[in-house]
Order: sequence, then structure tokens, then C-alpha cells
Amino acid sequence: MTNHYNDLMNSDCILMMGANPAENHPISMKWVLKAKERGATLITVDPRYTRSAAKSHIYAPMRSGTDIAILGGMIKYILDNDLYFRDYVVNYTNAPQLVNPDYRFDEEQGLFSGFEKVGEMPFADFGFYDKTTWTFQKDADGIALRDETLQDPNCVFQLMKKHYERYTLERVSDTAGTSVEDLEAVYSAFAATGAPDKAGTSMYAMGWTQHTSGVQNIRSMAMIQLLLGNVGQPGGGVNALRGTSNVQGSTDQALLFHIIPGYMPTPRANLASLQDYNATTPSSPDPKSANWWQNRPKYIASLLKAMYPDQDPEESYNYMPKLDVGQNASWLVLFDQMHNGKFKGFFSWGMNPATSGSNANKNREALAQLDWMVCVNPFDNETASFWKGPGVDPGNVKTEVFFLPPALFAEKEGAVTNSGRWAQWRYQGPKPLGQCARDGDIMLEIFRRVRTLYEEEGGAFPDPILNLNQKDMAKEGATFPNRYDPHKVAKVMNGYFTRDTTINGTTYSAGTQVPSFPSLQDDGSTCSGNWLFCGSYTEAGNMMARRDKTQTEMQSNIGLFPNWSWAWPVNRRVLYNRASVDPQGNPYNPERAVIRWENGQWVGDVPDGGWPPGERHPFIMRPQGYGQFFGPGLADGPFPEHYEALECPYEEQPFSAQLHNPTALHFEADKEAACDPRYPFVGTTYRVCEHWQTGLMTRWTPWLLEAMPQQFAEIDPELARLREINNGDMVIVESVRGQIEAVAMVTPRVQPFTVMGQTLHMVGLPWHYGWVYPEYGGDSANLLTPSVGDPNTGIPETKAFMVNIRKK
Amino acid sequence: MKLGRREFIKLSATATAVTAFAGLGFNMQPSTAKARLLKTHWAKETTSICAFCSVGCGLLVHTDTSGSGRVINIEGDPEHPINEGSLCAKGAALAQTLENENRITTVKYRAPNTDQWVDAPWSWALQRIAQRVKEARDETFEESNGDGQVVNRTEGIAHIGSAEIDNEENWCLQAIMRSFGLVYIEHQARI
Amino acid sequence: MDGKGFFIDLTRCTACRGCQVACKQWHNHPAEDTRNWGSFQNPPDLSYVTYKLVRMEEYVENGQVKDWLFFPDQCRHCIQPPCKMVGDMDDERAILQDFDTGAVLFTERTNNLFFDEILASCPYDIPRLDEATNLQGKCDMCFDRVINDKLPACVLVCPTGAMNFGDLDEMRQMADERLEVVKEEFPNAVLGDPNALRVIVLFHREPTRFHHAAVASLHGPGRFTRKQAFAKMFGNRKALI
Repeated sequence: MTNHYNDLMNSDCILMMGANPAENHPISMKWVLKAKERGATLITVDPRYTRSAAKSHIYAPMRSGTDIAILGGMIKYILDNDLYFRDYVVNYTNAPQLVNPDYRFDEEQGLFSGFEKVGEMPFADFGFYDKTTWTFQKDADGIALRDETLQDPNCVFQLMKKHYERYTLERVSDTAGTSVEDLEAVYSAFAATGAPDKAGTSMYAMGWTQHTSGVQNIRSMAMIQLLLGNVGQPGGGVNALRGTSNVQGSTDQALLFHIIPGYMPTPRANLASLQDYNATTPSSPDPKSANWWQNRPKYIASLLKAMYPDQDPEESYNYMPKLDVGQNASWLVLFDQMHNGKFKGFFSWGMNPATSGSNANKNREALAQLDWMVCVNPFDNETASFWKGPGVDPGNVKTEVFFLPPALFAEKEGAVTNSGRWAQWRYQGPKPLGQCARDGDIMLEIFRRVRTLYEEEGGAFPDPILNLNQKDMAKEGATFPNRYDPHKVAKVMNGYFTRDTTINGTTYSAGTQVPSFPSLQDDGSTCSGNWLFCGSYTEAGNMMARRDKTQTEMQSNIGLFPNWSWAWPVNRRVLYNRASVDPQGNPYNPERAVIRWENGQWVGDVPDGGWPPGERHPFIMRPQGYGQFFGPGLADGPFPEHYEALECPYEEQPFSAQLHNPTALHFEADKEAACDPRYPFVGTTYRVCEHWQTGLMTRWTPWLLEAMPQQFAEIDPELARLREINNGDMVIVESVRGQIEAVAMVTPRVQPFTVMGQTLHMVGLPWHYGWVYPEYGGDSANLLTPSVGDPNTGIPETKAFMVNIRKK
Repeated sequence: MKLGRREFIKLSATATAVTAFAGLGFNMQPSTAKARLLKTHWAKETTSICAFCSVGCGLLVHTDTSGSGRVINIEGDPEHPINEGSLCAKGAALAQTLENENRITTVKYRAPNTDQWVDAPWSWALQRIAQRVKEARDETFEESNGDGQVVNRTEGIAHIGSAEIDNEENWCLQAIMRSFGLVYIEHQARI
Repeated sequence: MDGKGFFIDLTRCTACRGCQVACKQWHNHPAEDTRNWGSFQNPPDLSYVTYKLVRMEEYVENGQVKDWLFFPDQCRHCIQPPCKMVGDMDDERAILQDFDTGAVLFTERTNNLFFDEILASCPYDIPRLDEATNLQGKCDMCFDRVINDKLPACVLVCPTGAMNFGDLDEMRQMADERLEVVKEEFPNAVLGDPNALRVIVLFHREPTRFHHAAVASLHGPGRFTRKQAFAKMFGNRKALI
């Protein structure tokens, strides 16, 4: 989230699209309804009438997979009706910048300049973009040229206007199946927050990410928020409601192939030395651009020092495993490679990919290709027990499986980070149940034993293992399961001085905690396991454990709790908050100010850099310092463009000749069913309030199973009549990849869509169930979903795919 | 028809025992004093954060200090600024998720091509995992790729997880997996 | 002293069902063995081990959903509880009413009562029987929590302000004030039997759309009416026994 949960109450209009907060983030509704009672308009745009829709003023149904059409229509509506916040757009975004005159968008073909065709998908070309034309015209210093009148035909503003000219209400309605009246209601309510003293916010989740155009869905909203001047404002922002209690923290710590802790890129094979790596550090010739990433060399040196305290960073850089240039090792690729027999061993830690992964049958088959698997989970699940799953003969499965029992959340101490970036410390209540051990102890003990083997026997390149920092993870002299020390780890994540160091006249002795990341150094004199957490555990103590609700009046006015827990970065609660004030430092909305320049200093929240007003552009993490309408960094285009899901019911679509995202991640050997008459209905998956993820913990919790006992399939009454299905009947839902049984829930909360003159039905499926337990619960809806994904993130398209449904 | 205070207390001892304490297995003769104390009265109270979604609601965890040492109640932390004591269905059920007879509480091992789990001691399982890691790593470790560039990695082991463990554990986990040379490191954030 | 009361504001209920589960948790009640019956609502009804249930009803007009109605149902703790009036005929210690709070409490002596009579006496279809023990059960206002100055579990757990608890006069005032505000959006909003109950429910739509026994009625389907119940209590007592 750019903002945080309490901040939702400051909003004048809340757009719940791509999220269903009442069911998946229920307590967020405390603040959503608070905003409602203060006069905010609540909007739900969703394929189903949900519990969130029930509390909204406006509910607009939409066909799954048409978010860019709807949001592109909103961009056009805002531009056509002059509802954008002009000062903000001119001062704080790249709208005035002049784009390379060779940049083109072919409206007929639906392709941006630089497309290189590689192959064909059903009904579409497949390829990648050469992005050399997706650039800006620059002056002699290398600073992008600007036309602050926004009139130059090559400025971003005019190109954007032209791009979305095609997104008429009629065409959007024809594509999304949303009525023109509903679209106008949504557009006019949300666009009203373009007034300087109004703020609108976006709550989104996997409803936007789980598409082959997932990143562009979110970019579309970010563009709307920049047009309306809502980014940086209390009650504004673009707010990702993340799915798991610590998925923010696990992302920050980079349990992902493409980043290392603190959102630095994973070293690639072409960057042989730390010097090569640092040569790719973002730079900016503009003195008014903070370009915060220019500090990256300090952060990677400090990370390397945290991992390998006894080596110079130049040496330990060599210990970091490198990806090949262009190599994608993301989830779908990982399971594809596992299916191909690439891996001998596999760790599945607190996960259940046999149920949570799209095309789950492929994952279940893939697990059988392994020599061994380590599964860490509190309850039996479809992954650990895959070798005795439906249709599997254990005698034919070679995989050796270790199923390790972890302590649960309240049985240990440590921090988790919520969507609002609050790192919150948890304490131990009871001891771990039975022989359960803390995850930290399990991993440290596996490591210790591997290390001992290398010490005793030698082996392939043992240096990274032999030199990994253990003193900052484990209690000295302790043994399993009492070695892991969360306080030590939290301290090294914050970082400390590795030798006596003087910064701006202040001397810090070796071992002193680094006060904040501006003090981190690139010469090995500081360590910090994650620069974003620098400031979380200082000489003043564990900031994440704070329970002080003291506020100034200004902070109290907008529900800011700066002394409760700790938020990254630097305890800043609202990101990009320098964009909430004008270039003189005066809040655009004085009634709900988040920061204000007063008597030569900033008051309120921690500002995005302490420079006086107007000295730096507000978007300090972008090299140019501006919010980006034209985003040249993505795989699939600088502007979001509507394409159909990879599995869709139509052979053509009204926006262009390009049916699908031509850069989508997909696998030749996997099956998809585009425009296949055997699978005429759109399938979509989602969650309910009473279960969580694969149901691994909640299916085993009787009170929750009682409330939602079984896999169900929500369908509209017309489809039910068509297939002679009654409410409560058992049905079979099938895709080209698999089938499941479900209880039919025939409900007018789901309605057929009229798209391009045709009627289209939807089948809605929760994905919380699996064959292990309960026996009557039904198997995973992910047996149906496709292994195709977004080209930027690789997140699978589980929100829109094609199915059939019939009575059992 | 209303009862006087004194009479009520005498009678309500059994009433509350039935409705609030004993559940189905009601006890006919609890003492009056016990009935008037909350079940959390003698418990250790610790604060925590909910294990489910990412709102980050504060919890009060009540752990029995007299006998079992186990959790007897979890409710919302009224002081917490986000949830102010409230919880959803999942959060309200956390005590049952935690104190659950179906939790796996011993190490389970499934040998290749067999059809059952067997209980294994931690030390045996962890040692065997360590050996398996070393074998796989040594067999598949690449110092350089096809282009002769230094990569120092293994593509013979993959790892996923976890968004369900603490920040500090995640930091250690990524450090350990990267020290082994893994590049196939993924988790829930990708799906 | 007016005792305690609840104010349940259905405009604020999101059916997160925290109250339903928190009630089970505090009372250590077991889960029921349920199946999906074509509804999000489960268990299908109140029971001896389900004191609190979020009822979920679709409000449909011309085939289109206009609203999804959520109703956290529970005992209303009547100020003059007919269940107690009926119960007292057989055993005055089976159903108690606390002097301070006004809580209506079913004790272990409810097995001395006739369940059909008790149920019939309740205009809100609340009491439930445990077949195994012949005991009757329903919401006890988390009496043990309340006398220890804690909110009932279902109120503490509620995120949105749908469930409120306090002194009855405060709850009545809160209900009246909220009704005025809600009427701007829902002109037909009403409070359910606000003068007779300690649990005041604000219905923003016709109460029977939420549940057939949402408010006291002379024409409750399939049950004794309150009038009939009183007639039986005071007129045909012997015949019933």
C-alpha cells in the first residue's frame, strides 16, 4: 500500500475493484465504513455481487479480464471532461515530457513500436518488444524535454489522450458487459476526487494481479490516481491489499528469484564484479531529482556485509548466485522446470503448491519428478501427501518426503509486516506444540548440518556456506531447537557499524546499531541485511515493538500513529507524501494534511526526504523524479492496452486485431482452450472470508469449516436453467486441464454479461479446498486454472479462464 | 419475577458454569467463586498479530499458566489502532487453529515408493536433509554458464516459501538458500 | 437501573461472521457438521451450540439483486421475557433474569421445562434444544464477561460498529440517532420492537426480508404466535400438561 489501513477513513471515494475487502481483508471495512459515514462514496466493480458490493453505493458488474477497458475508459472520461488536477499533473508527473518521435502505437494491430514476433499462440502473435523507441527527447544535459502547456503532440499527455481516444463508453461497455449507465456512475463519482481538496483511493488485490495483463491493470489505476492528484494524499494512493499476514515482509526479504533484500535486482551473469553491478545503478542528470536509488551501492555493500561479515563486499559478491541474462526463474517457470525433471530437491516452506498453484495437476505431476522434497507445514496437505493423492499409485512415486512440523505464529517471537508496511512485533504465548520447532530453528539446523558436511568433506564451492553469518542468527552455545534468535536477526537486518566510523562529525563505534539508512556506507563499514529495515531496531531499541499511541493534533486528524510499531521506509506512513503539498509546501487539502512546511521544517508524517519544498521532485524512487504516465520499463507497453485473457471466449475483440497480450508468459506444452466450444463459460477463482488461501489451516479449523464446508460454484439462474441445475445440486466443473466437483450455488448475485451482442455466463469458484480434508470438501479449483502469466511478474491468470459446467 | 441480588448470585453460579464454562460437558457443581472469574483470569497475556490476511490485526493471546501451558483464548487487542479489538471469522477462530488435535506435531517421513508416513526423530531427518542438499548441490553446482560467465549457482534445488513466517526467519531463509547457490527461489507473492 | 443492552446496526454488518465464531470460541462450543446448501449462510439455523448466527438473504427485484442482507441473529433479552414467564410455571430456577444487567439466562434446569412451550413463547424463534440432554440453550449475553466489565465476545469482535453494547438507555439513544441518519438513504428503516427488548436491531429494509422472525409478529409462520403462547400460558395450562 502507498498508504495504510487507518488512512482509508480519509477518503472521499473508495474504489474496490480487483479486491473484495469485506471478504478477504474484513477489518479494512472498519475504516472503509468510517469513510462512508464521513460522506465518502463506496464503489465496487466486480464480476460478482459480493459482501463488499452489499455495502457500496455503486455496484458495477464487469466481465473478468476487462479491467483495462474500464479503467482506460475512465482515463478518457477524465481527460474529455477536464477533470484532472492540472497543477499536479504538470508539476509532479511526466505528462509534459516529450517522447521519442519514433514511438508509435498501431491502433489497428494493437501493438507498440518495436514488436518482434517470435511465434504464434492460438489467435495471436507472440513475441517481445525492442524498447528503443519508448524513450524521451532530452536536452544537452540529458534531462527530458518538457512542454508544460501539455500541447505538443509528442508530449506524454497528448499521446495518452490519443491512446485512450478509442476507449469510448460504448466500446468499453460492449467489451466489459458493464452498462454505460454503470460506467458513467463509476467514472463521475471517482473523477470528482480530481479536486485538489478531495482524495479517492483504490483498494486492489489479486483481482488485478492474476491476469496476463496484471501489471498493466494496476498501472491503469496508478495513471488515474496521478491524473486526479491522489497519490501521496491521505485517503488516496494505490493500495495493494496483500494476501498473507507477512507476504509484504517475505517480499521485502526477497524470497523471489528476481530481487535480493530491499528490492535490489538479483545479480546477473554479465555483472561479474560488484563494480559491474554498481555500474547499473540508476542515475539522473537532473539536480532536482533525488533519484534515491543512486544510494544502491551502499545498500548492496551493507547487505553483503550482513551475510558475509568477514569478507570485503567485492569478494562476497562472488558468493551470490547469478542468473543468466534474461533468465526467468519465477513460479510458473519453476514448476515447468520441475515437471521437466530439472530439480533433484525441493523445499516447500509454509506453502501448498499442489492446491495453490495454477494448473495444479501439473504441479502434482511435477512433485513426482523430484528425488526429495522438504515440506514445512502445520497440517497435512495436498503437497506433502501428493504421493497418495487422487489417481496416484504411491508405488510409482520415487520422491522422498520430509514433513517437518513448525511452531505457529503465537508460539514464537518475531515481526511481520502488514500491507501498510507496518512491521509489528509478536511475542511468544505458549511453547511450540509437541515436537514442533520454530521455522527459524529448522532452517538454522539444516544449514548448520550442511555446513558441517562441507567443513568435514569439502565439496563444490564451499566458501559461501562456510562464511555465511551465523553469529547474527543463532544464540551462542545453544542447540536445536533453541538456537534461533529473532532479536539478533532483527538487529543485523537493521544493521550495525562494523568498525569505528565517523559520519558528518559523529563517530559511531563498531557494533553500534545504524540509526537510519542515510548512514549506510558502501565501503564495508556498515552492515544492514535490508536497508529498508534500517531504523527498525536501533540503539533506542526495537522500534517494531512500540505500543505508544501518542500523536500530534495533525497526526490525530488523519489517523496517523507514528509511535505504534514501525513502518518502512524510515517510519514513513504515507508514501510519496511530498506530492500532497504544492511546490511551496502548502497542503492541497489543508483539512487533511499529511505533511506541511512550517517554520523551516516539515511537520506531520516523515516526508519523502527532508529537502525544503520544491527542491526535489516528489517521486524520489524514480530516476526522473516524476510520476509516470508513460512507463517505458514494462514488457508489454508504455501505456496499458486492453487484450483478452489468454483463455477467452472470443476470436476477436473491439479494441484491436491483437487478441491477447502478445508478451504473455506461457508454455508450449501446456494446454489452453481459447475460443473452444467445449468450454463456453468464463471461470474465475476467489476467496471467502471464512477460509484462507488453500485452506491448509482453516479447513482444519472446525468453526471455519462449519461456516464454509465445501467447494461451491456460483452461477446465474439463467445458466442454471440452461444446464438444468438446481441450487444445491452437485455439479462438475471442467476445463481443458482438469475437473472438480462442487455444490451449485444458483444466485442472482451473478448475472450473465452481454458482450459484443452475445450472452456470456460465468462460473465462480473459491480455491480453498483440497482432497486431503475434509473428504466431502472437493478438490482444488486450481486444477482448472491455466499456467499462463503476466509478462512482467509471471503471476498466473487464475481470474479468467474457460470452463464447462454440468450436473453430476 | 426478578430475583434479588443474593439469590441470583447463588443461582447464577451454576448458570454461567453451564453456559460459559463447560460447554457441552456441563458440570453440575462448580464453585460459586470460580464461576464468577473469567477463564482468562489466571492466564498469561501476550500480544500478537493475526496469522491470516495482511491487515495486521492485534491479538491478545491468553495462555494457561496453571496446567496445560496452552492457549485458552485469543481475542482482538482493544489497544491496537487498526482493529481496536475486532477480528473477522478467521481471526476469531485462531485459538482453534492453534490448539488443534490435527496439527502435525512430529516429523513425518515418507520413503521412496512407499505408501505411508512414518514418524522420524528430528536429528535423523535433519541430517538426512543436509546430506540430500549437499549431494544435489555438489552434483549440479555450476561455477560458470555456457557463455563462460561466473554464476556460482545450483539449478538442482528449488525453494518456495514463505509468507507465513516472520521477517527475521525470512531473512535467514533467503540468506541460507542463496548461500547454497539457489536461484529458483519463489513464494506466495508470485501467485 | 435499566440494565444493559445491545444495539445491532445492520447497515454496518459485512457478514464477516467474526461474531458467530467469537461466540463459539468464548463459549467453547463445538462446530456443527454442515454441508453447503446453496448458501453462504452456515450453519443453516441457530442451535444449542450456535447462539449467534449471521443470516444472509438476497434481496431481489425483477431478477436483480438490490441488496445482500446480513443479520447477526441472537436472543433479544426481552425486558419482560415470555420464555421466563412460561418457564417459571414449571421451574422458577430454570430461566433466570439478572437483576443488574437484565440478561435472560438459561440454566442447567431447563431440562425441567417443555421445549415446545418455551420455543413457542419466543417471538424471535431463538431457544434451541439439545436432544441428548434435554437442555435448552441460547445467547447468555456473555454474562461472565459482562459482570467482569468486558464486552460480550460478539461485540468486541465486531469490526464495523454493527454490534454495540452498553447501558440500555445509551443503546436506545444510539439506535434512535442512527435511525435518523440511516433513514436518509433507507426511508423505510425501522428499529425492531425497541421498547420491549434489550437487543435493539436497526433494520434498513423490511425486517422480514432478513428473517421471518426478525420482529415480533402476530402471524409468524409455522410457530405459535405470541398471543397463542400467552393464551396457553394463562388459559389452557392444564390441558397442555
